Amino acid sequence: MEGETEEELRTRTERKVKKAAQLLFFRQHRIPGVKGWELKKALGDDYVEVIGVLNSALDKLGMEVKRISEEGGGEGKEKRAERDRFMIVLKSPVIEKASGERIDNVAMLSATLAYIISKQGKASRKAVEDFLSAKFPKQRIYFALDRYIKQGYVGEADKVLYIGWRARAEVDRKALLDLILGA
Amino acid sequence: MKNYRIPSKQMKFGELFRLLNFCRTIQTEGTDPFDLDVKKFLETLKRYHKTKKWKSLDDLLLDAEAIAELAKIIELQGKWIKERSSSFYIDPVLLELKLKMLEPQQLATAFFNSWHPIIAMDRITPQRLQEGLAYWNALLPFGERNDEFPFPSAIESAFGVEDLIELNILSKTEFDDSIKAVFNDLEARGRIEYHDFIYGDAFETSVKKAYLTSYLVNEGKAELDINPLEEEVFISPSNNANVNAKADHAQGRSIPVSLSYEDWLRWKGKQKRN
Repeated sequence: MEGETEEELRTRTERKVKKAAQLLFFRQHRIPGVKGWELKKALGDDYVEVIGVLNSALDKLGMEVKRISEEGGGEGKEKRAERDRFMIVLKSPVIEKASGERIDNVAMLSATLAYIISKQGKASRKAVEDFLSAKFPKQRIYFALDRYIKQGYVGEADKVLYIGWRARAEVDRKALLDLILGA
Repeated sequence: MKNYRIPSKQMKFGELFRLLNFCRTIQTEGTDPFDLDVKKFLETLKRYHKTKKWKSLDDLLLDAEAIAELAKIIELQGKWIKERSSSFYIDPVLLELKLKMLEPQQLATAFFNSWHPIIAMDRITPQRLQEGLAYWNALLPFGERNDEFPFPSAIESAFGVEDLIELNILSKTEFDDSIKAVFNDLEARGRIEYHDFIYGDAFETSVKKAYLTSYLVNEGKAELDINPLEEEVFISPSNNANVNAKADHAQGRSIPVSLSYEDWLRWKGKQKRN
């Protein structure tokens, strides 16, 4: 802003960064994270820069702001950012256990995601069920897949499963495949 | 495919139609788009141009359609190359094989090592509590909101045994004898895994036995013991079988146990191996 001293600018930025942290840490919707347009409304036009400052602060704590793009849309960079979802994730998978999930449920999720990724991001639900049934009983598979869909790890449309918003945010898909192939 | 009005010409366009069909198959079934020889397709089209001297509207429409289909295949070829050159591309067959070989523990470890969980917290703020209170105050008593929770409409029930007996489709003694035979079998075998009890040499008789067994459970003559973690269901004759246990089960619960032909085949295979 014109006529603003360096001190005033710093205070204003700090205030914005705090607000951004509150918006991103505390859940406001069913799905965690905040849309770009919401950040713009709360922080102003320079919200992407504010997120950049917050990101460097989070970096010291092993966290980062992740930007998840929605599918499709050929509009400009700015418009796309407004539609994107911003959320805070752990930067590196360093902690031993961050979930109370049973090991076999995690194994099924891991295999499901890897299978879908290998099929260029889409696979019929039946194909996934048949694949998992080599190691798990059918009833457990139906239940587990429904749960992954509810949790957002997997999406479903017309009996076709795809990678859900949560897996796109939380799972480093390339690392997952590399780890599976290297195991 | 569009119908062109000149049947005699359709015969001549045989090769072109075959190529058009092939293009559509690639698009719908997702087969390798490089199976189509683009150069040969264009040469064929060129040959038709030279020899037939396309003039009519139908000819031109067919020509345009051929070019459009070819363009779609070339687009698919571009995507195909992009996918394969991306770092995400891994031969699905290889990955499937690897996934089948890995232990659940290894799969879970791979997941955890590539997992960056979202950090999000829920907190009820004083303002939100106030909003909740305002909502509560504005809410009509439950009794006055019946329309929001309508009772499910009564479902017309299927034919029961009594109906079948009444229609002379089934005799009461025949049905009672069948139930008794199943009960005697259960008593003789004692506590047993449900599917081992139900399944027999033929799938049809297995389904019939499952149907009759449901009556035993319903009447309290047999008990089901379910272990949800291990996915096991055991059946045993009830200790109160001689008492009129039906009364105790009047408010019982429904327990769905799935039977399928594939499951029965697997069971049979297992029996043979043993």
